[in-house]
Amino acid sequence: MSWLLPVALAVLASSCFADRVLVLTENLGIRDTHSIYLGSIKDRGHQVLVRTADDASLALFKHGELIYEHLIILAPGVQAFGGSLSPKEISKFVDAGGNVLVAGSSKIGEAIRDLAVENGFEFDESNTAVIDHFNFDSSLDTGDHTTIVVGKDQLINAQLIVGDTTKIRPVLFKGVALIKDPSNHLALDIVTAASTSYSHVPGQIAENVAVAGKKTLLVAGLQARNNARIVFTGSVDMFSDAYFNAFATSANPARTAERGVATGNAALVSAITQWVLKENGVLRVKNVEHHRVGESQPPPREYTIMEDVEYAIEIEELKNGKWVPFLGKDVQLEFVRIDPFVRTTLQNKNGRLSSQFKIPDVYGVYKFSVDYRRVGYTHLLDVRQMSVRPLWHTQYERFIRSAYPYYASSFSMMAGVVLFSIAFLYHKDSAKVSVEAAKKKH
Amino acid sequence: MSAQVVQVVQKLCDDYVKTTPQKLKIIDAYMTYILFTGIIQFVYCLLVGTFPFNSFLSGFISTVASFVLASCLRMQVNEENRSEFSEISPERAFADFIFANLILHLVVTNFLG
Repeated sequence: MSWLLPVALAVLASSCFADRVLVLTENLGIRDTHSIYLGSIKDRGHQVLVRTADDASLALFKHGELIYEHLIILAPGVQAFGGSLSPKEISKFVDAGGNVLVAGSSKIGEAIRDLAVENGFEFDESNTAVIDHFNFDSSLDTGDHTTIVVGKDQLINAQLIVGDTTKIRPVLFKGVALIKDPSNHLALDIVTAASTSYSHVPGQIAENVAVAGKKTLLVAGLQARNNARIVFTGSVDMFSDAYFNAFATSANPARTAERGVATGNAALVSAITQWVLKENGVLRVKNVEHHRVGESQPPPREYTIMEDVEYAIEIEELKNGKWVPFLGKDVQLEFVRIDPFVRTTLQNKNGRLSSQFKIPDVYGVYKFSVDYRRVGYTHLLDVRQMSVRPLWHTQYERFIRSAYPYYASSFSMMAGVVLFSIAFLYHKDSAKVSVEAAKKKH
Repeated sequence: MSAQVVQVVQKLCDDYVKTTPQKLKIIDAYMTYILFTGIIQFVYCLLVGTFPFNSFLSGFISTVASFVLASCLRMQVNEENRSEFSEISPERAFADFIFANLILHLVVTNFLG
């Protein structure tokens, strides 16, 4: 049995690097109906644990540490989570850096709606659905026009989140509408509904529609300020094997490209899931260096005004589980002393972004700051503080030609004092013209 | 009108030549020299620009300060002001003048760049 220990250790070691994903469902039947989706997460190396959402032993923290890195909730109808789980607890999970993917449906429970509100979104009431009488799927729809076909123009323009939008095929969606809170500045409209859609109870005449048109969100997300990612989608069905394998047949005669093609659900859902599980769009700083031009080390204490400085930052991006050089060309460096005195775009040379600039003629405490925020990427912030001192007394320029008159004047003033003193001291009033004498004359 | 002005100026010059002691005339000549040096420097700065600003400041301020010190000396050695400066003898006034000039020119040289 002695051979078993190394094997067990090896298995443990390899699983240590994979992220732990907790999948919550209403019933375990979802393992069959959503097997392709769950299988794809496992295939990418994650440890997937499927539990029912009302399981009494559920917990996200153990001794204050996260038990899972990611949480996927495919349990739209749950009224209250089991165990220690609650919308508040999930918010704490997000604050601790956990990522969350939540799917709703027309039969949406209070727990999921509360969770959405905690994150600045709102699911429409239970039993309502997104209805579109123009863009429904004519083969799968049961007459309510709730199985809608989503075109590529409805996706957010961010390749990291939804994949290559030029290649993506029509996506089937059936579920509840999402609205974002107007004060939610971090919200991303990942998939919006078509302008002809609205949210209402199917089969009823639509009066007082809660939300309609492009304001209706089908998939919405946000990246919190700690880079944790949260995505809400109104449809749990878009993750299902049935939709993955279906063929879209848009009822809209104008959209012939969306007829009889295999759906793009698998591609879109997998792209969104990879984004949520932090498999892409993650940046990190590998190395930062700055020094005077022509040197290789930063000065021990400070720079001097007007010096030429070279700054370089190496940024890496996570791609397919590997850290590769980041190739973005729009990263900017700011040289900040309260205000940015220099702002320059860094030249990217295979992940090493560098720039040369002249330190301004103003001394003080400065920061080299790279603050890179782009949709889909994690927030990259790198700040290095450095002092800039004025010239030493001996470093100023001497004997400037245009200043010769001033020099001459200063020295002539000195000579003047000497000459004046001699004249003043050795002078004797020969005429003896005193004031009194002058007065007497008058 | 203009004849009157000419008359007044004429009288002023005559009185100056007749009544001012020789010592004060020496001080006046010195002050005139300083005044013109200062004006020339200022005009030069207007023409050329302020580039070595510290040099301009030290050059110009040294003329201004020299002028002020000379005028102080002139006030103190003037026989007419004897009542006001009764406790300051002309020798003491001159010593003060030299001491102030020493400090002034030390500062000016330091600031000249």
